[in-house]
Amino acid sequence: MTIAGVEPRAVVTPRDQAELGAVVRELFAAGKSFAFVGGGTELELGNVPTSLDTVVNTSGCNRIIDYAPEDQTITVEAGMTVAAVSEILAAHDQFIAIDAPDAQRSTIGGAIATNAYGRRRLRFGSIKDNIVGIGIVRGDGIAARGGGKVVKNVAGFDIPKLMVGALGSLGAIASATFRVHPIDKRSRAVAVRHLTVAGVMRVCSEVIGEALVPSSIVAYDNGERYDCVVTFDGFHRGVDEQVRALTAIAQRLRFAADVLSADDLTPLEERERGARCDARWRVRLGAAPTALAEFLSSGEMAGVRRVYYPALGAAFVTGDDLDAATIARWRSALDGGLVVVAAMPPAARGAVETWGTPPPSFPFMRRMKANFDPKNLCNPGRFVGGI
Amino acid sequence: MAAVSDFVTIVGARNTITEGSELHTYESDGLPGFRVRPAVVVLPETTEQVAACIRLARELGMPIVPRGAGTGLSGGALPVEGCVIVGLSRMKKILDVDLANRRMRVQPGVINLDISRHLAAAGYYYAPDPSSQSVCSIGGNVAENSGGAHCLKYGFTVNHAVGATIVTAEGEVVHIGTYGGEPDALGYDLMGVFVGSEGLLGIVTEVVIKILRDPQATRTIFATFPTTDEAGAAVSAIISAGIVPAAIEMMDKLAIEAIVLATHVDWPLDVGAALLMDVDGVVAEVEHTAEAAMAALRDAGALEIRSPRDEREGDLMWKGRKAAFAAMGRISPNYYVQDGVIPRKEIVPVLRDIARLAAEAGLRVANVFHAGDGNLHPLVLYDGRIPGDEAKAEHVGGEILKICIKYGGSITGEHGVGFDKAAYMGDLFSEDDLATMNLVRCAFDCDGILNPNKVFPTPRLCGDRPGVYHAHAAEVAGTAGRG
Repeated sequence: MTIAGVEPRAVVTPRDQAELGAVVRELFAAGKSFAFVGGGTELELGNVPTSLDTVVNTSGCNRIIDYAPEDQTITVEAGMTVAAVSEILAAHDQFIAIDAPDAQRSTIGGAIATNAYGRRRLRFGSIKDNIVGIGIVRGDGIAARGGGKVVKNVAGFDIPKLMVGALGSLGAIASATFRVHPIDKRSRAVAVRHLTVAGVMRVCSEVIGEALVPSSIVAYDNGERYDCVVTFDGFHRGVDEQVRALTAIAQRLRFAADVLSADDLTPLEERERGARCDARWRVRLGAAPTALAEFLSSGEMAGVRRVYYPALGAAFVTGDDLDAATIARWRSALDGGLVVVAAMPPAARGAVETWGTPPPSFPFMRRMKANFDPKNLCNPGRFVGGI
Repeated sequence: MAAVSDFVTIVGARNTITEGSELHTYESDGLPGFRVRPAVVVLPETTEQVAACIRLARELGMPIVPRGAGTGLSGGALPVEGCVIVGLSRMKKILDVDLANRRMRVQPGVINLDISRHLAAAGYYYAPDPSSQSVCSIGGNVAENSGGAHCLKYGFTVNHAVGATIVTAEGEVVHIGTYGGEPDALGYDLMGVFVGSEGLLGIVTEVVIKILRDPQATRTIFATFPTTDEAGAAVSAIISAGIVPAAIEMMDKLAIEAIVLATHVDWPLDVGAALLMDVDGVVAEVEHTAEAAMAALRDAGALEIRSPRDEREGDLMWKGRKAAFAAMGRISPNYYVQDGVIPRKEIVPVLRDIARLAAEAGLRVANVFHAGDGNLHPLVLYDGRIPGDEAKAEHVGGEILKICIKYGGSITGEHGVGFDKAAYMGDLFSEDDLATMNLVRCAFDCDGILNPNKVFPTPRLCGDRPGVYHAHAAEVAGTAGRG
């Protein structure tokens, strides 16, 4: 196992939360650097760690702590996979709104640490919108909780949100509580075909303008053009009405559209997984929807594959032969947006920084890091701005 | 030498209050019972003025208490001795509306409801709707992470405020969060942490919020029940059926009585509880969920189920619900508002515990709350003219919080910890939990000059632990200090 290309000297796998706490405390006391690993789907994300003595694998922390279907909340240890949690919830017709890169491998803790998101974010929000409580072990070995087990709660600072997307640089995630959702009775998807980026945006604005409520809108590139897949979930009548409404919109705009079967969706889901797990270069773009649309129309996208979430202003872009100059150009063109290089070939590591220029609020992040991880042992150097 | 009079140079004489009855207004917020006279109140009109005021306050060694519309119910804007109040009520411009990206940029003094009013013609709205939305401001909403009835489906302020310009305790102007919102800002989610930080991390001077398209249809349903037991069961049945109402509110007998007296809605008085709910979405979905919800209400033993005859009546019903706190004045000389959260499935036993508590204390408690997310608002009724009654009411309020904690809930769902509940934080969180939150505070305001005596039980050192004093490593390193 390597983390951003670096092999640790040791790997430890604590068996439960108490052991996880003990391991971090020992490492902190011994002054050894460490990083946390869940399912290992995002080990290439981040800068090269400046030091890495021990990898702490959280897969031993994999128990359900509390599941209250009536309250639509679940509390689990961080090493449980998203698929395992989903299976338990499915028995009660519920699901957790985490679109992880690979549900079979991705853990809850890893998904939180990397702020994993996907197409259902449009309707169900991101991890930040769904997490309600967290148990952590700070970089200095102190175990603490934030939030709680109820969906509505404003007591104390929002430690759960601080940990989302922090890439384990403040400490370990030991457990988390999520709001979960009822599984919809019916799901149907419509593909609007052969669209330019402007066409994709037109579909989006019509869908929103007519107050339809899609669960997701994903545009998959088909060479230069896009097939835009809009999914509706809900009760039968509402879903069917929305499918009819979107078909009518497409007709009015003279776009080809067809209703997809479950079989049609499988390869598309596989494309999303591939865009996040397999490609040599994996780049995440984010900006206000109109700014991203303008960028994607600019001719920079020749030869790269795109899984594009137009209404979210996000895209996963993959390619075999990107380079440092291209990334730099994209960053300058998407000024104010995100160009995060989630994976790159080892040879490119020296020339390409993962995150891009830190935001103006970076001094506060640096202080946060210093407060939680005073010896700078916790995933050092890997996060934004080298913290 | 800097002096308090220098605030006039920054914000002008008309925006500086140092004496008289005007200063009296700022002695408390929506939490009655506590009053502290601030040394000075400033009402800046620009971000730069806010920053200059903070720098001056620092130089003068004055604590700083930010204040929005002053409607907060937890004493979050309660002054401390010798402080400067930085009031944001004069910063009330809507800066821009970006329908294409569904974003809006506003100053903190903009009134919550005015945002939706501003958007109404375009068919958009801002979702968080605290009951005080006609008077509370967005800056205060950000500080408190305000909720409201429709947060059940649409989330709280933190789910809708995506970016902000803040002035820090050092008087620096910093942008946090993002504009695009969905792809998130790079690095730690400072915006997520800032929202709900109750004025301890900085003063917000500009907010970027998400705006939503009006739903195709909304159906309001009102139902009555013999007791709160059946109403509680109805809420569970609706949620279990996979229905996600936009809002589902419960009122008990006393609350109904007060609302009817105050607003003249024609709700029956001979019932034990009522539910008021909205379902919204696309037309066919709303028809289906409304039918399914009404079936669940019937099965749970509803006495009467009705929908408002027209939009006007629906609005009236919601106005009635939102006026519930103020309506208590019709049935009691004084009342104490509590805000606690319980797991939804515990509604019935918790209401019984609260009723027992009230009976023991010889007081009445009216219950009006966001049933869908278990956010209780027990209103403890008392008569301030009777010696000892107020203390009894406060005691009952405190015991209610302990019940919430016992059932696995929280001491506040939307009103904030503020000054009022700081003492209960230790019942909900461990020393290490609070020390961790204090590390967050120290990343922004290590000296603790912003809104002192709020949220944390006692002022303590960053990362300090009880017992023998050990300097936190961050303090040793010089990045943290006492606050």
